[in-house]
Amino acid sequence: MSIYGRALIEVMVAGFAAGVIGVHIVLRRLQFFTVALAHATFPGVVLAYWLGILPLLGALGFGWLVVGLLVVLTRLKQVDGSSLVGVLLAGSFGLGVLLQGLQPRPALDLTSILTGHVVATSTADVATSIVVAVLVLAILAALHKELIFGAFDPLAAEAQGYSRWLDLLLLLTVEAVIITTVPAMGTILSVALVIVPAITARLWTDRLGLTFLIAGLLGSGSGLLGLTLSDRYRLAAGGAIALTTGAVFLLSWLIAPFGLRRQARYRSAHGLV
Amino acid sequence: MLSEPFMQRALLEVLLLAIVSGCVGTVVLVRRHAFVADALTHTMFPGVAIAFFAGQSLFIGALVAAVVSTVLLTLLSSVRRVDDDSVLALLVATFFAAGVVVVSRRASFNSDLTSLLFGHLLTVDRSTIVQSAMVTVFVVVVLALVGKELVFRSFDPEAFRALGYRVLVLDAVTNALVALVIVAAARAIGTALVVALLVTPAATARLVSDRIPMIGLVSVGLIAACGVAGLALSYVASVDHDVRVEPGAAITVILTLVFGVLATTTLLTRHRRRIAA
Repeated sequence: MSIYGRALIEVMVAGFAAGVIGVHIVLRRLQFFTVALAHATFPGVVLAYWLGILPLLGALGFGWLVVGLLVVLTRLKQVDGSSLVGVLLAGSFGLGVLLQGLQPRPALDLTSILTGHVVATSTADVATSIVVAVLVLAILAALHKELIFGAFDPLAAEAQGYSRWLDLLLLLTVEAVIITTVPAMGTILSVALVIVPAITARLWTDRLGLTFLIAGLLGSGSGLLGLTLSDRYRLAAGGAIALTTGAVFLLSWLIAPFGLRRQARYRSAHGLV
Repeated sequence: MLSEPFMQRALLEVLLLAIVSGCVGTVVLVRRHAFVADALTHTMFPGVAIAFFAGQSLFIGALVAAVVSTVLLTLLSSVRRVDDDSVLALLVATFFAAGVVVVSRRASFNSDLTSLLFGHLLTVDRSTIVQSAMVTVFVVVVLALVGKELVFRSFDPEAFRALGYRVLVLDAVTNALVALVIVAAARAIGTALVVALLVTPAATARLVSDRIPMIGLVSVGLIAACGVAGLALSYVASVDHDVRVEPGAAITVILTLVFGVLATTTLLTRHRRRIAA
């Protein structure tokens, strides 16, 4: 299979899983943490390269370490959650840059880690993203009711004995999805595929089930369109895909039933200008 | 080490950045705006990139990008179905992507991107230092003028509004201050690592004190100390041992380690006290 074909499958599969899990992220307001996790894959990739193991494993390992650190650090009542996430984000990114500089072997291409590179997609990457996507979708489907309950009423969910471990499981799952998008999107831009399709889907429907489906399809579609554009106009793949998700959001905001039109109707109905 | 002129310039720049980002970092902590600060570092990137290639001042480019992103942030926050954090994530992804696409059209993609993202503390020139000094003076003056209002607005937004203050104006000022710090620090430590100066020291200081002026002072001190340590480490590593250590990255990692040590101590102390009780 051609390099381009491989990347296409990878981006569409990962895009679907990212879109679906993104709805959970947005419901739980974990957006900033997702951004941090995307940054945290960077030192993992550098370390893996250094140790000679599969980059995706390094990224996953380091990402899960960050999830664990956050769970421990949230016990510090003095510092708010977003500051903690910021500390972890900055720290892991700094560590990545430091390790990158210390690299004894011929320097690894920093740009391709940060912004993605279609050529970097191997057959192993494609296989990994298919396995991860199937696993993630299965987990999300199996725990659907519990996860939604926890998102809308965390206190009630905790009182019933659910919650805490489910949150952790969701975070670990998010990291798994992020790493599958890294080869094509790069560490920073992978966040576009997770969050933007999810918020765009909310402009098209107010039914939760449909939101998941639309988000998944938008993720896949943006991946396909973005990669095609990047191939045609020789742009960085991650950049083109992220910009596509943004353009789809903007368009949806203008024409979707719950976008600008709904807002205008709401305003006129309530006598606001 | 300090006989080298480039080290003197780097040291001066680090100390200026310590003052300005320690103060603004405290504001970021009080407003719980870590995500906003991170988002602004990313949205600044395309402005810096375009200015870099157009041969314009990076300062102007970053400023334009900051204004555009702040306006978009305010505008998109009014979409009722999309919460603020989602808007921030959207801006992070698309603005950074735009920057990457701009840079990727160039042949010298790799080195350009790296220098924009991580900066070059050791090559700051006189004009960068003058810029940083001006930003520092400006930010400190503004904070002295509106500091009390900022604290009021953070702790009781309803009462603040009821007394007739304009929340939107004050928020714009806050965002502008954060943006200015990022612009000032972009050249020296890069857009990607500024977050370390804005968030980590204040969070560390919060573990030591619960008084705002104290948090500010401790933050400034922390950045200055870790900044000097990072610079020294970087110098020793590359001159004496021929190992490349980016000063910006070294400073970030040291700041994070200090936070980690203090956080562990705090957690352990509390744990021990709970067992004793």
